[in-house]
Amino acid sequence: MTDTTSAPTSSDLERGYRRLIACYPRSFRKDNEEEILTVLLATAEEGRRRPSLSESADLIKGALRMRMGLSRTPRTVLYAVRLMYLGAVAQLAVLITVILTAGHIRAAVQTAMAAYHNPAVTAQVMHAVNIDLVVDKVVIPALIVVWLFMAWANGKGYDWARVAAISIFGLSCAGLVIDLAQGTAKYAPAALIGSGVVWVIGLAAVVLILQKQSGPYYVRRPATR
Amino acid sequence: MNIRPMQEATFLILTALATGSQHGYGIISEVAEISGGRVRLRAGTLYTALDRLRADELIEVDREEVVDNRLRRYYRLTPEGGRRLAAEAARLQANANAALKRLNPALGVI
Repeated sequence: MTDTTSAPTSSDLERGYRRLIACYPRSFRKDNEEEILTVLLATAEEGRRRPSLSESADLIKGALRMRMGLSRTPRTVLYAVRLMYLGAVAQLAVLITVILTAGHIRAAVQTAMAAYHNPAVTAQVMHAVNIDLVVDKVVIPALIVVWLFMAWANGKGYDWARVAAISIFGLSCAGLVIDLAQGTAKYAPAALIGSGVVWVIGLAAVVLILQKQSGPYYVRRPATR
Repeated sequence: MNIRPMQEATFLILTALATGSQHGYGIISEVAEISGGRVRLRAGTLYTALDRLRADELIEVDREEVVDNRLRRYYRLTPEGGRRLAAEAARLQANANAALKRLNPALGVI
């Protein structure tokens, strides 16, 4: 390590560091670039002309974390964001489950309807089931996008994103109740278990973003970073 | 909600600031000294941590100086940062005491 009081030089090393610091978000650079550069130059080995591989990796890693909006994020929001990404994965699992079990769902409904000996009603119900399955194949991918978008927007600290996440969770509660009322537990238990897991993840994420520690992050960092 | 255990780097940065304000290079030096040279923070890691600690209001900027045309920003613990550091130190001490208490009679260690 060199002394911090050594005279500043506009060297290849400094240019190399500046190129790496350029990876950080502009708002962070504006506030911290000169300070980080001072520390980098102060800690550089004597005679070094370029940033070392490990220094470069460390700076790029830090820049990526900031670009993803994760470094300044309070832990409560950080965990909520991770849960939202997990929610997207769980939602994908639900989609796969629905696709794989569609045949079983139709067969289960058909078997149950056979007891009524009413082909007309059975046909109507099967038509409704088919529409439901098609709707699922459209709505669930959209929900995956919503999970990812909510994770991104909450990670950025947009206040509207917190309101949106809570509202969407409210809608998902209603959706789960409708699923239960439609007899999903009987005809599509695997998909319902998946939806239940997604609901629990959503609940945990909402609880986290409503924590006291999360509040200032949303208030102080509304639309720009 | 329970406070999770701190990462070692975070604990050492807060410890470095416990005796007074420090600038970035000073923190790196203090952390190396506190850890007996075992932990050598890199600038990228340090500033990512400082950015997060400022957001969590555990540290704050104390003052800024320009030395040799280079900016030096000094950071200090906030009261909440001091409380969190004390709580984490007590937790680590309790764990260490428990381990030592069990090791003494069993192995004759220490």
